[in-house]
Amino acid sequence: MRTSFLRTLFFMLLANSILNAGGILDIKWPELNQAQQKAVASYPKVLSEGIKEVRLPVYLSSSYVDDQNMIVVSNKDFYSISFLLEGATLLFEGDRTYQEVVSVKNSEFQKIVQKLKPVEFSKSEEVMIAQFNRHGANYSISVECEKPQTDKRCTEEAFIRGLYGNIILVGGKR
Amino acid sequence: MRFISIFLSVFIFTACSQKEEKIPVDLTRKGFSYYPAGELAPVTSGQGRKGDNYVYAPGIRFPIESAPAYLNSQVYGVGGYLGPKGSLCSETNYAYPWHDNYCEKRSKYNMPLCSMGTGHQGVDIRTATCEKKKYYAVAVENGVITSIGTYTVQLRGISGRTYRYLHLDSATLKVKRGQNLRRGQRIGLVSNNMGSTPTSIHLHFDMKQTIKIGNSSKTVFVPPYTSLVEAYKRLLQGHP
Ligand SMILES: [Zn+2]
Repeated sequence: MRTSFLRTLFFMLLANSILNAGGILDIKWPELNQAQQKAVASYPKVLSEGIKEVRLPVYLSSSYVDDQNMIVVSNKDFYSISFLLEGATLLFEGDRTYQEVVSVKNSEFQKIVQKLKPVEFSKSEEVMIAQFNRHGANYSISVECEKPQTDKRCTEEAFIRGLYGNIILVGGKR
Repeated sequence: MRFISIFLSVFIFTACSQKEEKIPVDLTRKGFSYYPAGELAPVTSGQGRKGDNYVYAPGIRFPIESAPAYLNSQVYGVGGYLGPKGSLCSETNYAYPWHDNYCEKRSKYNMPLCSMGTGHQGVDIRTATCEKKKYYAVAVENGVITSIGTYTVQLRGISGRTYRYLHLDSATLKVKRGQNLRRGQRIGLVSNNMGSTPTSIHLHFDMKQTIKIGNSSKTVFVPPYTSLVEAYKRLLQGHP
């Protein structure tokens, strides 16, 4: 009894000392130049309507902005835009929330921050992923293949690097 | 205040450790028992995140609709491609105690919270029996389905956390992209779907959340084990 009380107290204190609850990240908004503003106006309705409430900069690869078959799921805090390609699913995501705050003095997380790169390419359960942080928000691009062992889009980085290489800002509300 | 908290934590932990029961901990009359978070089996399967008992997703519903369910390694368990020879349906795989498998050795999977820097990004859970398309995976919290791939279904909870459910049967999914779900609502049937190359029958479940550190932030796969132990206890007690 006493042990379980102490154990509970221990975890409460540990949680309080390391992690705290979440909130909204500070977004440093980029300025849109005239050409970008003009382009935004020409995007298909499925995109402009789909992201109209999103309160973070929205990025998509330029080769997909005109695809009418995109599926947009969003609210003010995030967006997920997917494309059903031949044999693969392509997903662009952005999010302005955080779920935990860690003390800057926490050495494990200090190391994580020191190792932060502008973009990371990796695999996750054979899904190819590009993950990056821009303007203070967190973004990812992922490709999931029907044939994950043999489809080059999921076995080699060239495709995902190409997608990341031509992302453009397509909207978002301050 | 924070310093005092840490000091007290360490003090109390030391006091508790001396009275701690022998592992595994058997807590319920239903026979459920589990090894502590980060204790991977076998030891050759990698280094788990020992000592991190923080519940990253408090109050979530267990992701499989009904008990029993068995959380253990697919790769290093009986019949797994690096495990002892035998059937994937071996009784050994369908028994308590649970074993954490977050951070288990997997190549190329970036994992900043694992000591190796790579590893298994979630946990693998077997259903009550070795039968596919029989047991439902359900929403762990209220949220929206943000994507459906060949073998992945992604739920964004109202907490902002993203949960991935892998290997469900595609043909019988109960959800669509953009659909809002209630906690406990059915998503799909646990199977062995991994596109053209089937895997063993199990649910891979992972949780991604963003951690803010000073002016930076990073989205990472966090340990699900302790959250799932809590959720499973609630399920066994009849109030999932
Ligand atoms: Zn897995």
